[in-house]
Parts: sequence; C-alpha cells; structure tokens
Amino acid sequence: MPYWLYLVIGGIFINNFVLSRFLGICPFLGVSKKTETALGMGLAVIFVMGMTSIITFGLNLLLKELNIEYLQTIVFILVIAALIQLIEIVIKRFAPSLYTSLGVYLPLITTNCAVLGVAIMNVTELATQNIFTSFVNGISSGIGFTLALLIMAGIREKLEYSEIPERFKGFPITLITASIMAMAFTAFAGLSF
Amino acid sequence: MDFSREILYPVLILTGIAIFFSIFIAIFSKRFALKKDLQVEAILGLLAGANCGACGFAGCEAFAEALAKGEAKISMCNATNKECKKKIGALLGTDASDEETVVVCACIGGIMCEDKYEYQGYGDCASVELLSGGRKSCPTGCIGMSTCVSSCPVHAIDIIKGVAVINQNKCIHCGVCILNCPKSLMKRIPQKAPYFIACSCHESGKDVRINCKFGCIGCGICSKVCPEGAITMVDNLPVFDYDKCIGCGICADKCPSKCIKELVLPQKNDE
Repeated sequence: MPYWLYLVIGGIFINNFVLSRFLGICPFLGVSKKTETALGMGLAVIFVMGMTSIITFGLNLLLKELNIEYLQTIVFILVIAALIQLIEIVIKRFAPSLYTSLGVYLPLITTNCAVLGVAIMNVTELATQNIFTSFVNGISSGIGFTLALLIMAGIREKLEYSEIPERFKGFPITLITASIMAMAFTAFAGLSF
Repeated sequence: MDFSREILYPVLILTGIAIFFSIFIAIFSKRFALKKDLQVEAILGLLAGANCGACGFAGCEAFAEALAKGEAKISMCNATNKECKKKIGALLGTDASDEETVVVCACIGGIMCEDKYEYQGYGDCASVELLSGGRKSCPTGCIGMSTCVSSCPVHAIDIIKGVAVINQNKCIHCGVCILNCPKSLMKRIPQKAPYFIACSCHESGKDVRINCKFGCIGCGICSKVCPEGAITMVDNLPVFDYDKCIGCGICADKCPSKCIKELVLPQKNDE
C-alpha cells in the first residue's frame, strides 16, 4: 500500500485530530449544533489545513536552509492567520448565512491547535517528508476533523428531541457524547494492513 | 552573536511573508468586497444609534442591513428623527414619508380603579403581576409600580395618580415601555390620531363599572355617534380606524365614561 494511503486512513480514523489527539476541541463543541454549519466549518478547516500544509512545508525548507527553525511556530501561525482572513472574505461574500452561523469560530480557526498541529506534524512526524505527503496529511486530517464534527452534529440534532435528565441537558451530555465517540475511535488503533 | 541568523533573517522572513499575504488579502478584499457595505454604513450613520431594539432587529446595524435589503421599513424605527429618515429614504430610493407614531398608555384607571389587595413588598409591576395577575381588580388595569418609568431611556414616563402618564415632550417613541409593561398597556397610535381609547378592559360593562370609575363599559355610543363610521366595537372595546377618523371629537364628548381621550402633542419646534 502506498504511503499516502496510510496517511489518509491514519488522518481520518486512527489519528483523528479531535477524537484521538484531542486537538481542536473548541470548534468541535462550538459549531456542532447543526450539520449544515458543521459541514461549512469542516470544509473551511479542510481548505485551511491543505493550504497550510503546502505553504508551511515550503517555508520550513527555507527556515531549515537559514538555520532558524526556532521561528517555526510564529511563521506557521502567520500563514494560518492570513489564510483565515482570505477564507473569511470569501465566505462573507458568497455565503453570508454560513458566515453568521459560524460567527466567532471562523476567525478562531486562526488559533485552532489542530491546524497548527498538522503544520508542525508535517515537518516532525511524517516518515517521508515531501510536499505531496504534507498536502495529503493536511487534507486527510481536515477530513477527519470534519467527520468528527459531522457525527457530533448529527448526534446533537437527535439529542435535541430526546429525553435527557435535567442536569445533563446542554453541555454535559455533549461532553459525554464526545467521550464515548473518542472511545469508539480508539478501536481504529488496532487496524493493521 | 550571529547577526544575520538571529536578527536579519527572522525580520526579513517575517516581513516578507506578511507583505506577501497582505497584498493577497488586499486584492481579495477588493475583489470580493460586499457591494452594499457602503450603503449600510451610510444608513447606520443616519440612524439614531440608540440600539433600543424596538424595531425588532438585533440593533441599529442589523436594522440598517435589513433596510438596505428592503426587508424593513424606516417607519419601524421611532427613535430616528424626521430629517435623517428623509435622508435614509433618499439613500434607499424610497419615499420616507411614512406615518409617524406615538406611544400612549391605554389605561386611566389609577387610583379610581379598585385594588384587589394591598401589595406590600419588593419589586415593580412585573413582580406584582406575578401575584394573581396584579393588585388591581381590573385585569388590564395599570398597576402603577413604575416598570415603565424605570425602563424608559429618556425618563419620559411618570406615575400620576396611580397610572403611567407619558410626557410627549420627552418621549422619543422608541417603544421600550411597550415591551416592558406586563399588562401590555402601552399602545402605539399614529401621530396624527386625534383621539384614542384610554382603557384596555374587555370585560362587560357591569364588571368594569364595579372595578373602575373611568373604564370603558362597552356601551358602543362612540361607534354610533361617529359620523365617519371610524369606530367599531370589538370585545366590548371601541377600535379606531384612523384612516377614516376626521378628528371631530364627538366620540370623546358623548363617551359616558370619558375614557376616549384627546391626544395632546407638544408643538414641535424643529431646529
């Protein structure tokens, strides 16, 4: 099996950013009330992760060349912030309703640890490091994030109409759901090819 | 210290990236700029900016957006003055000569309306209302415990003889009192309306008379004497059709309870 396919399956299921690595929890809990919003958010994150992976990989080569890798974090954050700005402008123009429903979570992707996480993992964790694997890793991590978000949103929509004990209504039941989902996803760790 | 490694390169690289992306963002924001942004901003500048929410939108900005989209009417805002409304109308290309409205209190009972019980305790009308629907024996009687007084942003309401009276000199017609009155006694009527019914009680004449000296007994005389047929009786209360009303005042003269009141507006000196 080619290495990139491992990356895809690993990014989506085994090393799912939300449910296995526990990164990007803030938008996971914040924007998972409706599936539509969750999908919009997920697509934005996929795009940002993919673009960030490509750009930061190139920049990282430059940093390595100049021997100033300690600038990694700030450079990556700068790239992510700029990309978010671009996305925000585009979404505001073409999908105003999505823009209002995403609200503050859209600019908050800037500080979403999942996005920075994918950029840093690209240059530290991957066995084969080139621009293609980085891109694949970024995209599949984004898809994994979107998957978790969509499942969560689906469950929460059902929860709206189910009888929940008074004290568990709202965030408590959401957190419990998230933890059960995370437990379920740990089963993927046993996948072998 | 390695000058180029620790100072020059970081500065160059970070500025380089920043400039690169700022150019991109500048192009993008020009390219994908919202078309109506300028118009909304212009409208927002002309609105009163009170953010009172009486128009039903989440504030002046949301209202301005709705205006620009044509989903709202400028007449829904009562805090903005006439001149600015005209300018906004010109901006939107619509006629701004919408009817101005004023707010009146549709109860004149006050101390002439019997108390069911004596309320001794904390709070305002809202807390009294919780206790078996208010202390007045009339279900729609003004409680007179100053909820409207404290909610009014311009201090235009006073409790006089146990009933809320709006000082039309100060009132900006924002309608916050309409939202806050637990009895929903504050009514919005057209500014040109000469008369209004100052009672909200739908009970039968006998019950009204037991409770209140000023209440409308639903006799229907006003609807009979009105030469234009502008008054109809609905559930023991007259309803005015201000499109037909000519302001003759016969209804107010003939009303046996004297609960049809003339709307006295201050002479506006438009500076």
